[in-house]
Amino acid sequence: MGEAVDTARAGAHEAPASARETEPALRTRSLRKTYGRTVAVSDVNLTVPRGAVLGMLGPNGSGKTTTIRMLLGLTEPTSGSVELLGHRIPEHTGRALPLVGSLVEGPGFHPFLSGRRNLRRCAAVEPGLFGSDTDTAVEQALERVGLSEAAERRYRSYSLGMKQRLGLAAALLVPRELVVLDEPTNGLDPAGTREIRRVIADLHADGTTVILSSHLLSEVENTCTHAAVLREGTLIAQGALDTLLESTGPSLLVTVADTEEGLRALREADLPVSQENGDLRVDLSDNRAPEVIAALVRAGVEVHEARRERAGLEDIFARLTEGET
Amino acid sequence: MNGMVSRVEPPSGVRRNGPAPFWRVVRSELGWVLRRPRNLLALFGLAMLPVLIGTVLTLTDSAGSGPSLFAAMAGNGLVLPVFSLMMTQNLLLPLVTAMVAADALAGESAHGTLRGLLLAPVGRVRLVTVKAIGVASMIVLAVGVITLSGVLTGLTVVGGDGLVTLSGTTLPLGPALGRVALAAGWCAVQMAAVGAVALAVSAATEHPLLVMAVTVGGLIVFGVLEAFPNLEWLKPVMLTTDWYSISDVLSDPIRSQDLLTGLWRACCYILIGFSAATARMATKDT
Repeated sequence: MGEAVDTARAGAHEAPASARETEPALRTRSLRKTYGRTVAVSDVNLTVPRGAVLGMLGPNGSGKTTTIRMLLGLTEPTSGSVELLGHRIPEHTGRALPLVGSLVEGPGFHPFLSGRRNLRRCAAVEPGLFGSDTDTAVEQALERVGLSEAAERRYRSYSLGMKQRLGLAAALLVPRELVVLDEPTNGLDPAGTREIRRVIADLHADGTTVILSSHLLSEVENTCTHAAVLREGTLIAQGALDTLLESTGPSLLVTVADTEEGLRALREADLPVSQENGDLRVDLSDNRAPEVIAALVRAGVEVHEARRERAGLEDIFARLTEGET
Repeated sequence: MNGMVSRVEPPSGVRRNGPAPFWRVVRSELGWVLRRPRNLLALFGLAMLPVLIGTVLTLTDSAGSGPSLFAAMAGNGLVLPVFSLMMTQNLLLPLVTAMVAADALAGESAHGTLRGLLLAPVGRVRLVTVKAIGVASMIVLAVGVITLSGVLTGLTVVGGDGLVTLSGTTLPLGPALGRVALAAGWCAVQMAAVGAVALAVSAATEHPLLVMAVTVGGLIVFGVLEAFPNLEWLKPVMLTTDWYSISDVLSDPIRSQDLLTGLWRACCYILIGFSAATARMATKDT
């Protein structure tokens, strides 16, 4: 499937109060960025409904970070437009960005300052905070990411995970309408990854829109409501995760005694079969499960187990990114 | 892990509108500059320099020979701060200035913190202004500690009553201190010119070392070019041309012509440097 699945209105059912809230949190039109002759991002039309958790997927170098940098006004697009929370970027960054929390290209802090001092520096330049609120906001943010105890330690002594948490604390210093997280689980252990997922789930529950970039499929599959897939700077699919997952049919996973034998039998019966970890996977879009089992039994292959499976994001991703051969 | 509570409430329940107040951002910037260990170390080192010169002068009794200003220092303590400024103005002060300007934008860029400032957002033009204030403050402090340490050392170690000018007259303590302050102010403006150019370089790169190399290298090149008599025509545009005329404050009356020319030239450099820094930041990818 070459064309994008368009489900721009998928998130709109969450009862918008005003006209402003019905417009998407983000909309880009024909976004393009070239560096000399290198095309980093080409013709990206991305729409993120309010309240969605969008996972931007793509291999390294597929243009995820460049796209995010253009969304936030850090890089000017070569052509095309960005509308962030209803404001044109980069012309009106001053209006949009106070409502956006972000962690882009890893946490950036000063090694010679403590975690607390670093956050206070962020709080001082934070438009949404009154001067009298900055210290409280910093303490709450430290508490929120579990860094209160390490707040006085210099940033240089922080572990990778602690640095990442401090970055998250800075992004969540004040309530946001949109939170942009670029590879948020980089360098985190499984417990840290789980915590990030919980933070994202809580943000989602509060109605905050989240854009998350990742090259880890499981991360997106577990936390996102929407997905956008980039390859070589082009958006090759976007939409609600459910819609994307349903777009590939279910499949049947069969465990047989003799894989070689089973493979041959199913191919002779003209069934679309592939081998997966010693099991056989049969695409059920055009076939029924009993036919598959019957074909195996007729050929005298012992069937140990057969289970129906919805296609995972991994299958979709593999097909999208290798697809056109 | 009982861990993260992600619900975010504004502490007082109210969200501010408009950009962060300018002076809050400036105060945070100054705190950042003055908390940096290497900047404090630089200030300490600069403060020690007049003490060193004064001590050497007294212990070795070497005054009376060497450069004219050096000769004038014997038993004439208030020449020491001006002499210290003249000595540090050529290399040490520009080095400290370039270091702070390098940290201001290139250093922030290297640490990934410039992105944070722009995403807050602090407007790009505003950010250059804040950074320029930070660099200027450090210059004032650096020149200030040299002057203060020079005056104190001069009065206590070298001694002297009032100031014997280079013209041979004697000024009482009050006006003499005024002359020293004038030299300090003039020197600070020259360093601000260096700082403005360094800030422009700083906006164009993410390598702090490059800023120092370009700035100090540029001053050295000026020094070399000055040595060629047939490059006389270049002198009006070279920042360093009138730097030695800082000792003119010690004449009676003050020989103001070169000092003024130097002042205007420095102002031009400040204007050009600041404009270039702003223009570069406005379009920079960060």
